Amino acid sequence: MVYSPFDFNEAVSHRKDYVEDKLSEGSPVVGLSFSDGLLLLTLRKSQRKIFEIYDRLIYSAIGNQSDIEAIRIGAIDVAHREGYERSPDDITALRLVGFSLSPPLKKLFGDTLNAPAVIRAIFGEMGETPNRDHFLILNYDGEFSQRSDYAVVAGTWEAEDKMLETLSDYSTECTLGHAIQTALATWAIGALEGSNKRKTLASDEKQVTTEIHDSQQDEFLANALKTMQLEIGLLDRRTNRESKFRLLTSDEIKREIGDTLPIP
Amino acid sequence: MGNSNLLEMIRPFHDTVITPPEWLGKEYAIPSGASPITDIHGTTVIAVKYREGVINVGDRRATANFSVMYDRAEKSLPIDDYTLLAISGSYGRAMDVVKYLRHSFKYFERSQLQPMSLEGKLSELSRVIAAGLPSALQGIGGFIPILSSYDVAMHTGRIFFYDGMGARFESTEFGAAGSGSVQIRGVFDYIVKTKKPFHEMSLEEALREALIMLDIAADLDAATGGWAKRLPLAKKIDANGIADIPEEILRNITQDINSLDA
Repeated sequence: MVYSPFDFNEAVSHRKDYVEDKLSEGSPVVGLSFSDGLLLLTLRKSQRKIFEIYDRLIYSAIGNQSDIEAIRIGAIDVAHREGYERSPDDITALRLVGFSLSPPLKKLFGDTLNAPAVIRAIFGEMGETPNRDHFLILNYDGEFSQRSDYAVVAGTWEAEDKMLETLSDYSTECTLGHAIQTALATWAIGALEGSNKRKTLASDEKQVTTEIHDSQQDEFLANALKTMQLEIGLLDRRTNRESKFRLLTSDEIKREIGDTLPIP
Repeated sequence: MGNSNLLEMIRPFHDTVITPPEWLGKEYAIPSGASPITDIHGTTVIAVKYREGVINVGDRRATANFSVMYDRAEKSLPIDDYTLLAISGSYGRAMDVVKYLRHSFKYFERSQLQPMSLEGKLSELSRVIAAGLPSALQGIGGFIPILSSYDVAMHTGRIFFYDGMGARFESTEFGAAGSGSVQIRGVFDYIVKTKKPFHEMSLEEALREALIMLDIAADLDAATGGWAKRLPLAKKIDANGIADIPEEILRNITQDINSLDA
C-alpha cells in the first residue's frame, strides 16, 4: 500500500482528535508567580498531581496517568544527571523541555504504529525574583511555549483561553494568600467551561451563551471543594531550607485565605 | 515468555541515574620515588547534641602538608532538610561525596515520592567511604565525615561517626573528626561526666562547650585554625530543619572564651 500525504494528514488529525478527546476531562492546573515564590494549583479526584522535579522546578500535567508519570521520571532523571555532572545552576525548564522532553513526544506523536502520549504538561521554574520565573507548557505533540507571571493547562483550548483572559491583569506583586485566591477563581472558570462544554455536547443543543456569572462560578467552586481534593505545590523563594518545594497542608491553606472558602 | 519480558521491564528500585563518583574504588599508579601528591585537607569538625537537636561547629582552615591553603573553608554541609555532613580529611573527595549524596538523596525522594530512610542514607555514606579506601591507603583522598541528623519520627537529634572502611557508629552525645579531634576526644567524656550530658544542655550551653573544644583543638593541633582572624562556622538541626547559628551569637561566645585566657 502506498502511503500518501493525504493518509498522513488523516492519521495526524485522527490522533489529534483521539488525544484531545481524552484530555478534555482533565482538571485544569493554574501556575502563578508571586513575590515569595511560585505555585501550581489544581483540584484532583484521586492521585497526586503536582510534583517536584528539581531544586527550582515544579511540574504538573493533565492526561493519561502513565504518560504523566513517564514525563515526570524522565524529567527527574535528566535534571539530576545534568545537575550532578555539571551544576544545579545549569538546570532550566527551557533546556529540559526544549531539548529533552519535546523531541521524544514529537517523535511518538508522528509514529503511527504507536499510541500517542496523552498529556498536556506545565513546568514552573523559580528564579531569584518573580520576573525571572518561567512557565513552560508542553503539549502531547512536542509543541511547547514559554510564559512568565502565569500559565495554565486545561482540557480544552476554550477553557485555557478563558482562564488566561481572567489572568490578563494579574500582578506578581502579591502575597501567597492572594495568589491562592486568584488561582482558585481561575481554576473554577476553566473547570466550569469544560463542564459546560461536556453538557452541551451531551444534550446535543446549540451552545447559546458562554457567559459565566460570578455567582455560578462561586457555587461551582464551593461544590468542587466538597467533592475534590485541593492541591497546591509551592516553590518557596524565601526559605533557607535545602528543599524549596513543598505541598501546602490544608491548615496552611486555611491560614492563608481565611474563611473565604469552605476548605475541608 | 511473556512473563519474563514483563519481569525485565520492571525497574529495580536501585536503578538510579545518579552513579557514585568515578574515582571510587580506583587505585593510582604512583611511580616509585615520586614525591607524594598533596591534596588539601580540612581539619577539625565537632558535632554535639543539645536539647532540641544537634549542633555542628568547624574551624575554617584547609591545609596541604604544612601549608595553610584556605581560611574560609565550610566543613559542615547540608545534604537535605534534616541531614548535615561535617567533613574532615581530603577536601576535594569530601566535596565530591557531598554533591553525590545531595543528588542521590534528593533523586530518591523526588522520584519515589517518599524521603530516603535514615538507615538508607547512612549505608549510602558507608558505601562511598569504603569504596574510597584503595586510594586512601595510597595516601590520597582519604576523608572521614560525621553525619548529623534530626530524626523526625523519634523527635531527637542523631550523630553518626565513621572510620576509613565505612564502619558506622552512633554516638549518644557527640562526635569529632579531623586532625584536631584526637587531642580533644577525652574532653567530651569529661564534660558529660562532670557537667551534664550534651542532650540536656540548651543551645547556648552546648555551643559554648563545642567552641571551647574547638579552641583547645586549635591550641594543640598545628593544622586547626583559631578564630583570631575569622569566626568558626556553626549550624544546628532541629525539628524545623537546618539553620546557621548567627555570627552575632558566635562572636559573643568566642569573645567570652578569649577572656578565659586573660
